[in-house]
Amino acid sequence: MPVGRSSPSVRPADTGRAEGAGFEQRARHGGTGTHSRRASRAGTAAERLAPLVLLAPAVLIIVFLRLWPLLLGVNFSFTGDGARNGTAVGFDNYLELLDDPLFRTALGNVGLLVVLLPVAVAIPGLLATFIYLRVPGHRFYRSVYFFPAVLSPVIVGAIFNLILAFDGPFNAVLGTIGLGPVDWLGDPGVAIFTVVGVQIWATFGMALVVFLAGFSTLDPALLDAARVDGASLPQTVWHVIIPGLSRTIQFVFVTTMIGMLTSMFGLLYVMTAGGPEGSTYLPEFYIWTQQGQMNRPALASAASTVLFLIMLVVGLAQISVLRRSGGED
Amino acid sequence: MKQHTLWSVALIAGLTLAGCGSAAPTGTAPSSGGSKTKLVVWDWKSGDKKAASYIEKAKADFAKKHPDVTVEFVAQPFDQYYTLLGGAIQSGKGPDVMMFNGGGQIRDRVDALLPLDQYVAEDRQRLAGWEAFTKDGKTYAAPVTLQGHPIYYNKTLYTKAGLDPEKPPATWDELMADCAAIKKAGAKCFALGNKEGIGPQFWLSGLGSGILTPKEYDDWIAGERDWTSPDVKQVFKLWKEVNDKGYNNDGANSTAMFNDAFSVFDAGKAAHIIGLMSDVGHWKDFGEFLGDKVGVMQAPLVTAGAQPSLPYDGGIGYAVAKWAKDPKSAADLVRSLTSTEALNAFYSNAGAIASDTTIDVSQAPPAVGTIVSKLKSGKPALHVALSSKTLDLMGRLSQKILSGSASVDEAVKQLAASDRAG
Repeated sequence: MPVGRSSPSVRPADTGRAEGAGFEQRARHGGTGTHSRRASRAGTAAERLAPLVLLAPAVLIIVFLRLWPLLLGVNFSFTGDGARNGTAVGFDNYLELLDDPLFRTALGNVGLLVVLLPVAVAIPGLLATFIYLRVPGHRFYRSVYFFPAVLSPVIVGAIFNLILAFDGPFNAVLGTIGLGPVDWLGDPGVAIFTVVGVQIWATFGMALVVFLAGFSTLDPALLDAARVDGASLPQTVWHVIIPGLSRTIQFVFVTTMIGMLTSMFGLLYVMTAGGPEGSTYLPEFYIWTQQGQMNRPALASAASTVLFLIMLVVGLAQISVLRRSGGED
Repeated sequence: MKQHTLWSVALIAGLTLAGCGSAAPTGTAPSSGGSKTKLVVWDWKSGDKKAASYIEKAKADFAKKHPDVTVEFVAQPFDQYYTLLGGAIQSGKGPDVMMFNGGGQIRDRVDALLPLDQYVAEDRQRLAGWEAFTKDGKTYAAPVTLQGHPIYYNKTLYTKAGLDPEKPPATWDELMADCAAIKKAGAKCFALGNKEGIGPQFWLSGLGSGILTPKEYDDWIAGERDWTSPDVKQVFKLWKEVNDKGYNNDGANSTAMFNDAFSVFDAGKAAHIIGLMSDVGHWKDFGEFLGDKVGVMQAPLVTAGAQPSLPYDGGIGYAVAKWAKDPKSAADLVRSLTSTEALNAFYSNAGAIASDTTIDVSQAPPAVGTIVSKLKSGKPALHVALSSKTLDLMGRLSQKILSGSASVDEAVKQLAASDRAG
């Protein structure tokens, strides 16, 4: 609350500073009397202090509510659990993490998400292209595609739990066309792809909207020119649309990546609970399990620190991508 | 100019103070709330309609003894319960009285709890199930319900398969023969949900007394677990055998035990289920769908010399936190929560098998009678003795055994290593 309220008070200080600068200049030019000089020195001290005071609430909030807990968490990850609660154990927790096949699976799945990212971007991109090219019924599709984005992951998970159950409707449909039932959520080789597929289904609406916004900036003259030159649809997509939308595509890559790494917990929790055989663990889920189910908060802190570092690397890479695309302007 | 700076400083200081000022009273109010002392209870039952009369009776009992103490029940969602409790324990602040599951969940957290032995001495004889809340000879909670794993069977399906519904199989061979008949009649033999990996816990405890010899059983509970014993391996071999023969419902690894597997049994699609005694998946739940056609059988005899018994422990109980300001009245509240009157209400409304051995169950359906009659000879459930880490591993390995990606030998080896380390 102090932050919000402090913003109006910034303005008077700003003007005060401008006035002060004028005062100082006058004093220096005039060079008259010690009284005004002393006043200006006192003014300078107050001026120096003013920005610090004004920044203090924001800085203190960041330091005490963001950085300090972060450091506490990192520090906590170097202490033990259970009988060794509170004692320093060095890198034991991190070694245990490396040794835990479950955590390695979780990290492997993060890698898998990165590999599947192009698919998650291509799907809304292609569908947006079709809508942009006005396929029949494009207005209908535009609203239908966005619809899942307003559903909570828990509801999406529950719906797909029913649909993808072993004796559920999806397998029944497969059965009628002669394909054997697949245990979508019970087969360790399939489950992670099922969950990622549902995640893409649930979230691609947002990316689709971003793509459509990008299309609105595309110069229709280029498309007309391509049509006049006799370009086929794939050629138009490849040579005109993709280059024209490069910045939008990069943006969608970044936001989809963040979404996949940070918001799949709800879906995992409802659909697989990390199973079967621990094949759908992601670091977030691992942290939750260790903290809540195994009573290993320090180990969970270590896993959080590792996840934080991964996100830091991914985030920095994404910032550099965004900056590069911004520089093209 | 100076005026301006001072002004802004004063403004910010004022706002900051105001900000603190408005936050502070709400933060401190509960602890200083008037002349009455207040006890805060955390559980996941008090919000349940079926438990309303139980909580009411316990509150009334407590109010008689301590009219000057107010009690506040905070019902937490069960799937978040231990996460929230972990936060409270880390900060050393939280409820005075809290609910626990027996076994690993409470034993992992006894550092934060007050030993109750001196307060509950009078209740020792009346209540059963203390062992699940005991660690190193000290009792940390009083049992409210008993939790165990009777094997329920569907008498209608038995009749349909041409079997005698009043004569459930007593040996493994008989069970397999019955399963074959039931399969032929178009139903599954077992309802199994192993999505959460809980299946093998029920399996181990439900069938263990027919597989391990009495000595192996007692040693297991006492912590001397011999994972190299052929009988222990047999538990997991039979787990595989039943699945390989197609006696489980399809897609067991993607079926949730809570409550999809129970629904399979309710719907009459499977003839047996290793269920629970309290909370959910018990005689009362099943009875709502199957009426009086719910039977209870004891574990089939697998190994010669084994003595099948009912596996049960204290299910849930209330404990007192170490940081409770008034441990005496907190312990009294725990005693009120385990009074005969309150537990009787819990049993009759929620269908829980309560810890109180003096409750009269003669009016209840026969399934209850069977369960209660076996309490005396019952033993602690095998899986409760394992650490939560080993149980988690067992869940994943059991899924691997079902899908064929791990052998029984390998699974038992890994479990032995985890059990030794934990």
